[in-house]
Amino acid sequence: MTTISSAAEQSPLVTAAPPVGRPDVNRKKLARLGWLFSAPALIFVAGVTIFPILYSVVMSLRNVTVTGSGINMTGITGANYSALVHASVYRYALGFTIVYTIITVAVELVIGTLIALVLERLTAGRGWMMALLLIPWSMITVINAELWGYIYEGTYGVLQAIFQAVGLGHPNVLGTSTPAIAGMMVADIWKTTPFVAIIVLAGLVMLPGDVYEAAEIDGASGWYTFWHITLPLLRPTLALAVMFRVLQAFGLFDLPYVLTGGGPGTATTSLAVLGYDAMFKNLDFGGGAAVATSTALLVLIGCLLLLRTFQVQVGKENT
Amino acid sequence: MRRVLPRPTGRPRSRTSLCVVAVAGVAAIALAACGSSASPTSSSTGSATSGTIVWSASPIAGAGPTDTRTVLIAAFEKAYPKIHVTLVSASTDTDTNRATLATTISGGSATPDVFMGDVIWPAQFGAHQLAVPLSKYLPASYFNRFAPGLIAGATYKGQVYGSPLFEDQGFLYYRKDLLAKYHLPVPTTWEQLESEAKEVQTKAGIKYGFVWEGDSYEGLTCDYMEYLTDAGGAVTNSSYTKATLDTPAALKAVTFMRSLITSGVTPSAVTTFQEPQAMDVFAAGQSVFLRNWDYAYSYATTPATSKLTTSQVGVAPLPTFQGMSYPGYSNIGGWNMYINPHSKHIALDLTFIKWLASTQAQDILAQKYSEIPTVESVRTSAAVIASNPVLAIVPKTRLVPRPAGTPNYPALSTAIYTNVNAILAGSVTASAGLANAQSQANTALTSTSSGGL
Amino acid sequence: MRNRKRTGWRRIINGVNIATFFVVLFIGLPLYWLIVSSFKTPANIGVDPPQYFPNPLSIANYKSAFVQYDFGIYFRNSLIVTLIATALVLILGTLAGYALGRLPMRGKFPLLVAFLMISVFPEIALIAPLYILLKDLGWLDSYQALIIPYTAFNLPFAIWILRNYMLGIPKEMEETGRIDGASPLRTLWSIILPQALPGIFTASIFCFTACWTEFLMALTFNISNNFRTIPVGVSQFGTIDVTPYNTIFAACVVATVPIGILVFIFRKFVISGLTSGAVKG
Repeated sequence: MTTISSAAEQSPLVTAAPPVGRPDVNRKKLARLGWLFSAPALIFVAGVTIFPILYSVVMSLRNVTVTGSGINMTGITGANYSALVHASVYRYALGFTIVYTIITVAVELVIGTLIALVLERLTAGRGWMMALLLIPWSMITVINAELWGYIYEGTYGVLQAIFQAVGLGHPNVLGTSTPAIAGMMVADIWKTTPFVAIIVLAGLVMLPGDVYEAAEIDGASGWYTFWHITLPLLRPTLALAVMFRVLQAFGLFDLPYVLTGGGPGTATTSLAVLGYDAMFKNLDFGGGAAVATSTALLVLIGCLLLLRTFQVQVGKENT
Repeated sequence: MRRVLPRPTGRPRSRTSLCVVAVAGVAAIALAACGSSASPTSSSTGSATSGTIVWSASPIAGAGPTDTRTVLIAAFEKAYPKIHVTLVSASTDTDTNRATLATTISGGSATPDVFMGDVIWPAQFGAHQLAVPLSKYLPASYFNRFAPGLIAGATYKGQVYGSPLFEDQGFLYYRKDLLAKYHLPVPTTWEQLESEAKEVQTKAGIKYGFVWEGDSYEGLTCDYMEYLTDAGGAVTNSSYTKATLDTPAALKAVTFMRSLITSGVTPSAVTTFQEPQAMDVFAAGQSVFLRNWDYAYSYATTPATSKLTTSQVGVAPLPTFQGMSYPGYSNIGGWNMYINPHSKHIALDLTFIKWLASTQAQDILAQKYSEIPTVESVRTSAAVIASNPVLAIVPKTRLVPRPAGTPNYPALSTAIYTNVNAILAGSVTASAGLANAQSQANTALTSTSSGGL
Repeated sequence: MRNRKRTGWRRIINGVNIATFFVVLFIGLPLYWLIVSSFKTPANIGVDPPQYFPNPLSIANYKSAFVQYDFGIYFRNSLIVTLIATALVLILGTLAGYALGRLPMRGKFPLLVAFLMISVFPEIALIAPLYILLKDLGWLDSYQALIIPYTAFNLPFAIWILRNYMLGIPKEMEETGRIDGASPLRTLWSIILPQALPGIFTASIFCFTACWTEFLMALTFNISNNFRTIPVGVSQFGTIDVTPYNTIFAACVVATVPIGILVFIFRKFVISGLTSGAVKG
């Protein structure tokens, strides 16, 4: 990608060609056009999502009672948030979700990029590989959780059968804290690595080819090419993949809900499970909204930090 | 990228400021308009003789033309030709149903008119006005027909919110053939069960002795209630103000459950078992004893789902601890009928509910589908008792409900099952786990915001 | 591009093929287990040691998915909702992605961050207010009850993705169009879009999958059987006591087939970027 404006990029590929006609009038017209093109999407999204999001944020700041005659909100209070901060299970869920996100996204990034590289070089059978790759991604998340629950099951699951056959004893994956977390990560990585792989693949495919030809003529090895040419060019794509994976990983719900119910104890209770339980088990909409809003804020801050780390400057291209 | 021209001055900064104003405006409106209320509950009960009502119910048993719900509706419509019942299928997961119902009813929806719900919902639904207090419309004589304890479980603050549809409870299932082979009687105490299980495990080479539900979920609260009550304990005091989980009885119950695992009678994977897992292990012939609900008998003796036959499966009341009187306590499960407060056909709903509590409907549930009827006369009738070995045991059992008389029950139950599960998994000692359960349960009981987090 | 022709044994045993083998193993083994389990009878689900190949092989689960449960109806509903939502997302998203990627608008960053904020908000908290909104519009139990929220919630991600891929197209492309006197829309359609196909393919695959597998909204907004979608339908397989894993797996296999087919059919659009030659500036 040729849009990074950090000092490290002296990419000779992009030269700003002077626009035709009077510069500022053209720009104004194009800017207006830009807003025209973006307006439908903006209106659509805003129309549907602004009310629910604001409603939720407001709910998190009031005393909420769910009743048959509607959702009663009274007063303005920080009680929902203070309950969060004081609840040890929230602090645990926060830490767990953050660690879980970091590990799974890092692993998926590496494996996904490797898979994308392999796919790009594949000549025959690429279509089959892509179709195969996308099947785990396109499974309904609950069914994926049930599949892995069946695999990890402690008395008739295939994993424990293999372990026993190899002589590794009798594992109880979902019943012990650390193996349960690890098992969940494996299930998650299996399902969502294709997401990263496809995004990176599309990015790889769109990289301009002349840089590689130049590098090959210069005699650069495959590894050097990858590390010093491909990766930097892929940075915005990788940032995008990481950002949205972080977003999704923070919303981890189906796997703990189906595989372990948040157990053993509360070992695999994620923020989303906590929010769901607060909202729909305890009918505490205020508490659930507080969990949701605080999660959203955290993820937003995380994503912005990520963009900075990847040195991607959004919105400043083509100016 | 270098700019070609400097940014012009003297212009409004950008459209973003407009956006911010717009968003703030919407926020202000939202804040002001919040406390949204749905349309007021209809006070009239509507026609009592004709119309259409919508019934939301999870699949109970059977499928297609033999689906319990379809059969019940057909029989009802035959008795009341002018009333039509539309079935809306609900999820098989009770928590998902609670989520959907809370959202739709608080959103003001008039449908479903009636819904089949969990037996632990009355206090929570009553406190949140998500169900109609049936005692407002039905006389006390109506409620007298049900088995003792069921109506108490459906009452909150003096009003009855649910009409029991069919009941469920815990049973002890055992391998009749194996016990007979080693001349062992059906165990009447837990200690006896543990030793018999171990004996058959070693002699017959059966993998596991006793399987039950130990996952971190509501079912563990059910199982734990049985051990706890057998040991003479209770979860809270009678007014639901203080938890009593840090007692010798509670410790005895949980220590025994943990000892089942450490002695090898129960697999350590039991901390991940819900009903299907325990059932599948027993039905595959891998366990001597099973604790499960009443469906387990037919599941274990049907060739399509089990490797066992009727000559191999026996059912008995649950045992109790040594020194206590037999039989042990069975936790009450089951399903009630509730009415949506926004329903426009309350009279029709009541007709339907009353019919479902009639002998005709209860007989269908009992004899055709082996569900435990809630109406006492049907439970004790000879025909029903003869129809199914499980139903024959029912009059001999002793029941204990879960402590669902508080609207914060889900949080209370979470305090119980997460900590008992941690104890069973060995992540925490029994006394530490119970201390945690005690404090979390107290928080749940005294919290004003539905128990919150 | 990198068209090193391999000769001899390197044609079969080389880094790429070995890596491919492991990838296929990694992805394929659990899939194998899924498919195999869908052909087992319920009595054989819980045997230990597990059957590595079903014996007897039974299609009863597939039959029961379609006959006992209205899987055909759920399939149709899922298809309608997903295809329309994906089409809408592609149209609106391409326009916005192009604008935010290649046109000199001011306020791009706040706009993109706003879109991000919307993606970020957990769905559970939005269900209740969305329900009220849809109820007031009278749109519960309909196709639009799902199409509209799905489009709205998938647009942010699609816009980010499409923008990202459009950025990679050399700037000179618009020049060619302008010189030829084409309108911006035409430039977009005939020059930019063909080169952004990998991005469009990516966005559509992810949008399709997200809509195909969405559960919470489909559960709450469409209650009647006529408008139920696959994820909700599958959650009702079985009874309150029994969860028929084998039937669920069978339904999952059936539900996943369309995506595999779609990807296979449209894979050429991803590959076209390599061979078209217009990408290299």
